[in-house]
Amino acid sequence: MRSIVYYVREFLRPEWLKKFFFVKTAPLVTPPYFKGYPTLTGKDCTGCFTCMMICPAPDAIAVLRRKEQWEPEVYPGHCIRCGLCVEACPEGVLASGRVTDLARRDATAFWHSFHLEVDESLCMRCGNCCVSCPINRQIDPQLAGTGTSTSDEVIMRVSSGRVRILHEEKCTGCKTCETQCPSGAIRVARMVEGVQFLDGVES
Amino acid sequence: MSILQSIKNAVRSRSIHVSYIDVGSCNGCDIEVLACLAPRYDIEQYGIYVHNNPREADVLLVIGSVTPQWEDKLRNIWEKIPAPKAAIAIGNCPISGCVYARKGSLTTPPVKNYIPIAAEVPGCPPRPTEILSAILSVAPLIFKDYEEKQS
Ligand code: SF4
Ligand code: SF4
Ligand code: SF4
Ligand code: SF4
Repeated sequence: MRSIVYYVREFLRPEWLKKFFFVKTAPLVTPPYFKGYPTLTGKDCTGCFTCMMICPAPDAIAVLRRKEQWEPEVYPGHCIRCGLCVEACPEGVLASGRVTDLARRDATAFWHSFHLEVDESLCMRCGNCCVSCPINRQIDPQLAGTGTSTSDEVIMRVSSGRVRILHEEKCTGCKTCETQCPSGAIRVARMVEGVQFLDGVES
Repeated sequence: MSILQSIKNAVRSRSIHVSYIDVGSCNGCDIEVLACLAPRYDIEQYGIYVHNNPREADVLLVIGSVTPQWEDKLRNIWEKIPAPKAAIAIGNCPISGCVYARKGSLTTPPVKNYIPIAAEVPGCPPRPTEILSAILSVAPLIFKDYEEKQS
């Protein structure tokens, strides 16, 4: 009997009743280091498209020209919040969590280059890739409609019946050649390496 | 407002039954939904219960980009849920197809082509808190005064 009274008294304590009906676990706050959608830091974007190049998710980021200024825009619903664009941007335009802080502390960066490959069995030597490449046309404005060129400085040119790749390192990875190729023979591969500067200073 | 309606409102605000289906995800979002059930996020303290039975569900969480096997079945499951009901797309996959939205991929997102979607929670995967707050903010919009809005 005494224990029943004890329990009834215990459970009728207002504090116990209040806790029983209304207690919740503490509201969950997003930690400050959470890597959310990249936000703009306000620094000037140069429109180098490195962020778009490195982004692994289709249609997640686009660098748009607004009046006189380039500006990256991130699309939720496509962006996977990996933070690669934040780390890869050379101008520090984007920010997300502590991605940039960690990259500075560890002196890490991304190095990228592009590898061009022509499938000889598909290529029909039309020269569209060589003509459409914006870098090629900058280097040799005389570039002929068939993709032949007298300049040795172009990325690629048609010579003796084949597309010859001369200066792969000048490619910016725009993939214009890939979209202009009627037979899908040319492929632009993005090669990205994570590097760390051992002396601890960024170059 | 009728008394019956206010009773229904009160009950529905504290008893939201959730069913989730995976229509072809990488499992990342499933894990985050699972985390909502675990003590740290504790979905039941908000009056949300997970049954995984469409017949007793109010809210359907759709996870994943749609694989060919799901194209006809998704609609069937949606129709089994009694009204009032709402479907929430969890993660990038049902919204855009996420990293699977590429040439040659077999998935056919978005999910809103198959069933009406009331809310979308982007992220790959979204945080459990984002999933929770989506359910909690959609539920009153759909369920409050449902019968009065119908008439
Ligand atoms: S965070 Fe990742 S997925 Fe999102 S825009 Fe940047 S690189 Fe693309
Ligand atoms: S945001 Fe950075 S990486 Fe992207 S285009 Fe601008 S400067 Fe280049
Ligand atoms: S990817 Fe762009 S820059 Fe590179 S070779 Fe093709 S067209 Fe030229
Ligand atoms: S949104 Fe991302 S985490 Fe979620 S199922 Fe799709 S790929 Fe996986």
